[in-house]
Amino acid sequence: MAMTPAPHSSARTAWFFILPAAIIMLAAGLYPVISAIRLGFYDWSMGTPWAQARWTGWTSFQIVFGDPAVWRSLWTTLKFAAVSVSAEMFLGVALALALEGNIRGMAFFRTLFILPMMVAPIAVGLTWRYLFDAQFGPINALLAVFGVAAKGWLADETLAFAAIIVSDIWQWTPFVFIMVIAGLASIDSSVLEAARIDGARWWTLTRRVKLPMIAHVLAITLVMRLIDAFRVLEVIYVLTFGGPGDSTEVLSMYIYKTAFIGQKLGAASAISVLLLAVVMFLTWLALRMSNPLADGENGQ
Amino acid sequence: MKRRDLLKAGGVAGILAAAQFPLIRGALAQDRYAKYRGQTVVMSVPAHSHYDAMTKILPDFTAETGIKVELDKIAMNRMKDKQLLEMAKPQGDYDLACYIVMWKTEYVKKDLIVPLEPFFQNPALADPNYDMGDIIKGYLEVQGLVGGPKTYLPGPGARLYGLPYGSETSILAYRKDIFEKHGFKPPQTYGELQKLLAPLREKSGIGALSSRGQAGHQCVHAWLLHLNPLGGQVFDENWNPVFNSPEGVAALKILKEIVDTGPVGVAGYAQGDMINAFLQGQSAMYLDAILIMGLVNDPAKSKIVGQVGYALHPKGVRYASQSGGLGLAIPKNAKNKDAAFLLLQWLTSKAADIKVTQAGGNASRMSTLNNPAILKQFPDFEILKEQLKYVEPDWRPIIAEWDEINIQALGVGVSEALTGKKSPEEGLNSVMPKVTDIMKRGGYLKG
Repeated sequence: MAMTPAPHSSARTAWFFILPAAIIMLAAGLYPVISAIRLGFYDWSMGTPWAQARWTGWTSFQIVFGDPAVWRSLWTTLKFAAVSVSAEMFLGVALALALEGNIRGMAFFRTLFILPMMVAPIAVGLTWRYLFDAQFGPINALLAVFGVAAKGWLADETLAFAAIIVSDIWQWTPFVFIMVIAGLASIDSSVLEAARIDGARWWTLTRRVKLPMIAHVLAITLVMRLIDAFRVLEVIYVLTFGGPGDSTEVLSMYIYKTAFIGQKLGAASAISVLLLAVVMFLTWLALRMSNPLADGENGQ
Repeated sequence: MKRRDLLKAGGVAGILAAAQFPLIRGALAQDRYAKYRGQTVVMSVPAHSHYDAMTKILPDFTAETGIKVELDKIAMNRMKDKQLLEMAKPQGDYDLACYIVMWKTEYVKKDLIVPLEPFFQNPALADPNYDMGDIIKGYLEVQGLVGGPKTYLPGPGARLYGLPYGSETSILAYRKDIFEKHGFKPPQTYGELQKLLAPLREKSGIGALSSRGQAGHQCVHAWLLHLNPLGGQVFDENWNPVFNSPEGVAALKILKEIVDTGPVGVAGYAQGDMINAFLQGQSAMYLDAILIMGLVNDPAKSKIVGQVGYALHPKGVRYASQSGGLGLAIPKNAKNKDAAFLLLQWLTSKAADIKVTQAGGNASRMSTLNNPAILKQFPDFEILKEQLKYVEPDWRPIIAEWDEINIQALGVGVSEALTGKKSPEEGLNSVMPKVTDIMKRGGYLKG
């Protein structure tokens, strides 16, 4: 008589296979976070032995949360993320809808559009620094053709903020584009065909059928872009170093300066915890709108 | 005479003879290097014109000594992070590290670099003909000494931790062709400089004076260039911040005028942008580090070859030109300290200093500036020799906290004044509390 495996045995097998991946994920994900939180309770300067680190308790957190510069840079980050991610989502979706069909030469354009995403952020910063250069930059040269006087793009608070947003949109719209076009390609063509038979035109088809069907993809894309927008550092480091004044000093730039210039690793860690909390809240908010991990939604 | 006495006498006579005859001296020098032949010295260096020049002469060192050199060249503003991480390890990858003068006290405070006297006192390593007194005094004191008055000035307690290599002062460079065409004279005082800015811009059609202006270290550096000649200071003798004094405000007002009459976008300029604007003919004057002298006549980088004259950094209430730039030190956790010292000694020797200057680097020795062949190649060094008399050793407070004050406090206030968001008074006053806090935290002030 054949033995039937007990139910708890299959659960054990599942755990057996999942455990190595889970351990690696925990080690890679949780350990740095716990270390950062722990560091927030110490006053430690780079280049000195850890044994010299001084226990400060909640002091770093109290100082950080009472520092107006932290809240100012958080506000700058929120503005930066809101404007750049909104523009990227809109442009990325629009581009994907425009290029989703089997139009001749589209493969070339799709490849071309995703190129900026592959460029290293430092190179992106340097490229845009040259483009925005007041004396020799092509942007001012183009404006001169139309009789517009040269502008100090990186020397004016409003223009510098616009400059960092433009560079972010240039680099990361392709990411939205590639995610959305993959989502659109996965839509069952019979659904679209049925909608067309029912008389749906392009706009109705897009708004009522295509976008709702890729809502999960849009949510995940939004979350990933938000997280990245909150962590942006290299491009701003090269373009403006947070200036003029502190007008483009996003939170990650402030963390960098606190850690590596102020040599206050504890305070920098405390601000990192704040950044983590904000990003987690925004992620939760975005996933509430459409969570691909939840069961039974949209029939998937 | 016993055999031992004979040998002793012979030894002394030999050393004396070696001093007289270069061939024998060369042989002794060879012996100095013999033990380290085949070792590799790893250097941390910045992307900087002086170190580009050094790269050209390094093969001579390897050929002469058999010691190899490996360079880790990175952007100047990323160098400190990497050095701190390397030097904090039990054994680091760097044997010789280039540092900006502002880092010297922090590195010593953290016990990351070693004093150089033991090496110079070691007859097996030290070159008897090195001539420390020939190194430009202002450079040596500012770049190398730590532990003296205020922790960074020459005086009782100061010890030598590094040697200047790529050190510099400030000088005024101007376009001779433009000045002659419009009948202007190079300004000798800050009063003349101020009066010159607007008409020079108007008549030349280009920016009057190129300057740094980017938020952080860059704009503070530009402000310090004017603060010192105008008689201002960042701190008083008791470490109280006094940078918002009338002199400090006056220096910032002048800098604002320079920005307003300079090339478009100066308030966003880092050092490279500022140099480039002058080299590409976008400004009629330049007032900053002397590294410009090696760049203006390089046709690959400059459109103004042969059109530049030099004058002393203008006088305010006194002459006070910049002191700073780059130096070399040996990390405490270096693997090959002796070989690193031999390279340091060779690079800063009289012969190598001439070579690096000829290759476009900064001279570190008076003998180089007085060398007829060098003066023939660089006749403008006559004005540099004069300028070196006015190097201000206390040009900025080189304390471990300076980076934070410089970039996160003053760098914001000065920048906001340059963009017009705040007046010069408001800009400086607004960062007073932050600087006071930093000084309290550092233990300089009670509270």
